[in-house]
Amino acid sequence: MSVTVATVTYTREDQRRGEVPYGSPVYNSIMGFLIREARLLDHRDIKAWGELLAEDLEYKAPVRITRRVQKFSEEFGTMGHFDDDYNSMMLRITRLITTTNAWSEDPASRVRRFISNVTVWETDVPDEYEVSSYLFLTRNRAEAKDYKQLSAERNDRLRMTKDGFKIARRSIMLDQVVLGMPNFAIFL
Amino acid sequence: MRLNSRNDYVKEAMSQFIDLENREVSVAALHDQELYELELERIFAKAWLMIGHETEIPNVGDYVVRLMGEDQVIVARAADGQVHVSLNVCPHRAMHVCLSDSGNARVQKCIYHGWAFRPDGSFIGAPIEREQMHGNIRTKEQLGLKKARVQLYGGLVFATWNHDGPSLDEWFGDMKFYYDMLFCRTDKGLEVLGPPQRLTIDANWKTAGEQSACDGFHTLTLHGSVIDIGAMGGETDTEHESAPAMYGINLSGNGHSLRCIAADTSWALAHGKGELTPEERLEAFPPPGITPELLPEVKRNMSAEQLHVLAKAPPVVGGMFPNMNILFIYSPLRDGTLGSALVLHSIMPKGPNHFEWTTYYFAEKGTPEHVKVMMRAAATLGTGTSGIIEQDDSDTWPHMTESAKGVIGRTETMKYQAILGENRPADWPDKAKVYEGFGKDDAQWEWWLAYHKLMTAEA
Repeated sequence: MSVTVATVTYTREDQRRGEVPYGSPVYNSIMGFLIREARLLDHRDIKAWGELLAEDLEYKAPVRITRRVQKFSEEFGTMGHFDDDYNSMMLRITRLITTTNAWSEDPASRVRRFISNVTVWETDVPDEYEVSSYLFLTRNRAEAKDYKQLSAERNDRLRMTKDGFKIARRSIMLDQVVLGMPNFAIFL
Repeated sequence: MRLNSRNDYVKEAMSQFIDLENREVSVAALHDQELYELELERIFAKAWLMIGHETEIPNVGDYVVRLMGEDQVIVARAADGQVHVSLNVCPHRAMHVCLSDSGNARVQKCIYHGWAFRPDGSFIGAPIEREQMHGNIRTKEQLGLKKARVQLYGGLVFATWNHDGPSLDEWFGDMKFYYDMLFCRTDKGLEVLGPPQRLTIDANWKTAGEQSACDGFHTLTLHGSVIDIGAMGGETDTEHESAPAMYGINLSGNGHSLRCIAADTSWALAHGKGELTPEERLEAFPPPGITPELLPEVKRNMSAEQLHVLAKAPPVVGGMFPNMNILFIYSPLRDGTLGSALVLHSIMPKGPNHFEWTTYYFAEKGTPEHVKVMMRAAATLGTGTSGIIEQDDSDTWPHMTESAKGVIGRTETMKYQAILGENRPADWPDKAKVYEGFGKDDAQWEWWLAYHKLMTAEA
């Protein structure tokens, strides 16, 4: 197994086709979806958020590595902070919402997810879109006076279904090599 | 040089921080700046530290940059094919010589004044050779990067600044017999499944260090959610009764430790297999990380005594003194089978109130590729940054450290008074200290004794 990098696997730039114009109906509906999704998570409606995940989900947050600038596009490793599929995400959600012992988020963090810089591309599959968005996240816990912060680019595969958009893939490209927060007991 | 200059101070401090008679450690030890400086000198500059695996740097010139305490080191494979560990500090003006986490370079050239070094740390020269910019007081041999002593074990890279101290074998002592069952059991050995996760935990390094020494008890409460969702065996209301994964055999030697737990007492998937002979058990539940195809290799490479241990109750979690956490655990895989997750953490201090938690995932090289992918996912689900087990630990250690900041809080003690006592079963090897039964504080106290011994060692 390769120890090194696999950026294309995460960004899937090869699957991007025509860019969907900013402000178009498709663009707006995807922007609205991302905002609603962030709102569900921020308000800890994790069960409802889970219903937005497609059953063929791939959910990853590869580790980042500092490299010489010539390798800037290859800063992501094969290991990740998340390395999930649908079933493992459901297990995480079940743990968080059905048990009374999930201490990493009890008491809960106060999290805000700010989503911006959204770019949407069509793909070879009708009703499926490649979506890049920037995530800025603040997390406050207990009486801490400061915030744990996180910024990332997310590369999503969104699929329009009869029940609305579903997330078929999310690759979270973090800007930190050494995370400043002690865990990802939260979703990104 | 302040190194080792404070023997009297440290003895006085240790007598205040550690109550040997009552098996208590002062909470103040989790926040004390002066103690921390001594720990860097006496623990992290003296101990054998695990800083990576040779499969991260398979080719000549490959390197990774790692921490030994707060010191950055370059771990590189040199032209001789050997792994070398060199301080990432230019002997010229203290600039970091290497600025990236990993890569391949036949020459490490400092960006400040261009002093250049080979992967083995030796000095090549400074630019404008005829002007002799390294001077003529020190020879080139004296101007290499400071070199650590290196020993590979099961492919793991261990390094220490203690050039005259114990060998790695002596450092492990009797525990090597058991560690071999994790790290040296197959023909091809282990490989990493990618570059490690790294994160910062706002806690004193010892909170994680001492827990690694067989704190099984916290599983029932802190990790109660994992029992609740049915991933571990037992009933959800067994907190105080038939506690899963609590009965087994704890081992301790030189501050190192392992917990040996039979598969069918911990994971739900392994329940209900009925009574098995040791031989049948080894076939039914090969030790974590060993697929059925690899079992013949294990049987060939391990002694009869070791195979008996692997069959009865394989080592699954534990630590290496001072700062390593081991989880070679059974874990359900995506395909529904009972697989495993092989995880090592290192705990590197970043001041008294912070440490870096570095997480490596492994598989035996001989594991089918698709199984490696599932093992990596299982390890990520259970351990490390988002691990449903370990995210609760990372939340606890900062609280303990915060407690030490209170002028009254720091007068409290951490207590290691639940004592099982050595009670080696007749059929268990006479190696290391052996504690059979409900996991208690014995091995964790041994961790503190090893800490005490190293801190008070005459320099």
